[in-house]
Amino acid sequence: MTIELQRPVGDRIVIDDLERLSFRVDRRAYTDEDLAAQEMTRIFDRCWLYVGHESEVPGPGSYVARDVGGRPVVMARGSDGVVRVFANSCTHRGALICSQPSGQARSFRCPYHDWTFSNQGDLVGVPIPDGYGPGFRRADFGLAQHRSESYRGFVFATFDPEQPRTLPEYLAGATEYLDLIDDQSEVGMEVIQGAQLHGARANWKLMMENSVDIYHFRALHKRYVGYMESLGSVPPRRRGGFGCALGLGHGANELPPAAARPLAYWTPMFGAEVRPRIEATAARFVDRFGPERAERITGTNRAVLIFPNLMIIDAIAITIRKIDPVGAGQMAITSVALAPRDEDPDIRELRKSHYLTFLGPAGFATPDDIEIIESCQRGYLNRTVRYSDLSRGMNKEIPETTDELPAREFWRQWDRLMHDDDAHPDLARRAGMPGEEPR
Amino acid sequence: MTIELTVDDAARVRLWHRVSQFLFREARLLDEWRLVEWYDEMLTGDIRYSVPATDVRGEPAGALGLIDDDAARLRQRVEQLLNGEVWCENPRSRTNRMISNVEILTDRGSHLDVAANMVVYRFGHGRSDAYVGKCRFELVVEGESFRIRRRVVVLDHETLYEHGKLSIIL
Ligand code: FES
Ligand SMILES: [Fe+2]
Repeated sequence: MTIELQRPVGDRIVIDDLERLSFRVDRRAYTDEDLAAQEMTRIFDRCWLYVGHESEVPGPGSYVARDVGGRPVVMARGSDGVVRVFANSCTHRGALICSQPSGQARSFRCPYHDWTFSNQGDLVGVPIPDGYGPGFRRADFGLAQHRSESYRGFVFATFDPEQPRTLPEYLAGATEYLDLIDDQSEVGMEVIQGAQLHGARANWKLMMENSVDIYHFRALHKRYVGYMESLGSVPPRRRGGFGCALGLGHGANELPPAAARPLAYWTPMFGAEVRPRIEATAARFVDRFGPERAERITGTNRAVLIFPNLMIIDAIAITIRKIDPVGAGQMAITSVALAPRDEDPDIRELRKSHYLTFLGPAGFATPDDIEIIESCQRGYLNRTVRYSDLSRGMNKEIPETTDELPAREFWRQWDRLMHDDDAHPDLARRAGMPGEEPR
Repeated sequence: MTIELTVDDAARVRLWHRVSQFLFREARLLDEWRLVEWYDEMLTGDIRYSVPATDVRGEPAGALGLIDDDAARLRQRVEQLLNGEVWCENPRSRTNRMISNVEILTDRGSHLDVAANMVVYRFGHGRSDAYVGKCRFELVVEGESFRIRRRVVVLDHETLYEHGKLSIIL
């Protein structure tokens, strides 16, 4: 390591040097509590944040309560069928109006003084109302409703009433990847019940970087790769794949499947019995979408990072991973599986089984990811090494999946937001390196 | 006053004692990382080991859990843990399993359904964690001993946020 590379460059956290093809991140970004607090106001209070999938509130009156960007919210489908996102805080004096993680409710009654809100947010009941003067109007005390929008079933909310972008504008190139996922069923995708709720003693951004990092796969995940090979996974039928920047901090990797896909790429590891069904599904998609797009939907793996804290990985199963910062050195991870609602029961079982083999706190891969990012976090305690390097692929027109372009795209948006530069949309379209341009 | 055990009582106490000893031995083998012995001597060939998700109760059909191993995947888990490729279990965790509240729920002669409570303390990589759960075993009677056919550990934690991962066999 050269001394020169470790010399601080001003006070910038992200040092993006397109001339020297060097991209570095000051490790204070992972350890500094002041920066972590600033991230909450500059990033999480402003961006569109993933709340949940519409299938989690399937019918009128169904709801889920969870934290989004550090704030307790309720996503509820009203009796009118509309999905809304409310602040989970009573407009009287603040108690949570909903303390069940999910359920079915015509109304939410605050346990403190029994104010009651309809599932559309209206205040419909106030005990002993003669305690208020004529100026008191129930209409002023409905639940605070966050601005929310849904794209292809994925519900997002923003806490910034001034957020200038609509959700599709905000998602930029990532919409294409959400299309490729939602197109996997004609009747809609659904979240499978049973979330994997875990965490890591590491900065949240390390998990975002890890989730789009394919460079580590063969090194860190030897045991998983070995297991899949022992089951009869075969090398991809075509080579290649690429990493891309999708604009506004989003990025993706797209690559031929390394093992198999329940929808719809059969290899012997799935067993002979389901082969005709999986291949028939693949053929049906060719009829619906044409050979090229069908191959992209059913015969290609992808991992998409949606800034700031959502990852969707579509490989041997689909996982939606929401990553929440808890100060600088800890994160909470929520992972669920997404699948076609009309999936064949045997193939659903295969999907679940392979999901568990790879993913989650007890899979054959994710625990090693957790351990390694915790190890990075510990490594940062030695402040002598000031920067982490993320320059792989800056020398290429089209970076490969083992390069670090999606992570750079993430950091560039992080840098813009932390410096209030996002007002200049052309900064999001960086010239110079063709490979660094958002697709 | 003397307490007389009926023949039936005595048989039940003996069975309970044998079941408890069996579960204590299992805990010891797991704590001592004698995983191959555990796998070969204490489980049936059609073992199923599962840990349901912490946000659902009562194992609803179709739900995804944290672990749902058949014999082959459990064997793989054992081999990986032992051959040092599990980066997060290398060096190996130190564990201490406390088994209590052992209760024979049903005795169907050749099969027993057994409940027990479990706390597993785990220390490693600078961390210490406790996993707290309720176990359900289906035991197949084999002469004077047993084999485990179904092994379910229902964690009482709301999340594994503190633990991060579950890389040991509970
Ligand atoms: S705080 Fe909710 S009713 Fe008073
Ligand atoms: Fe990984």
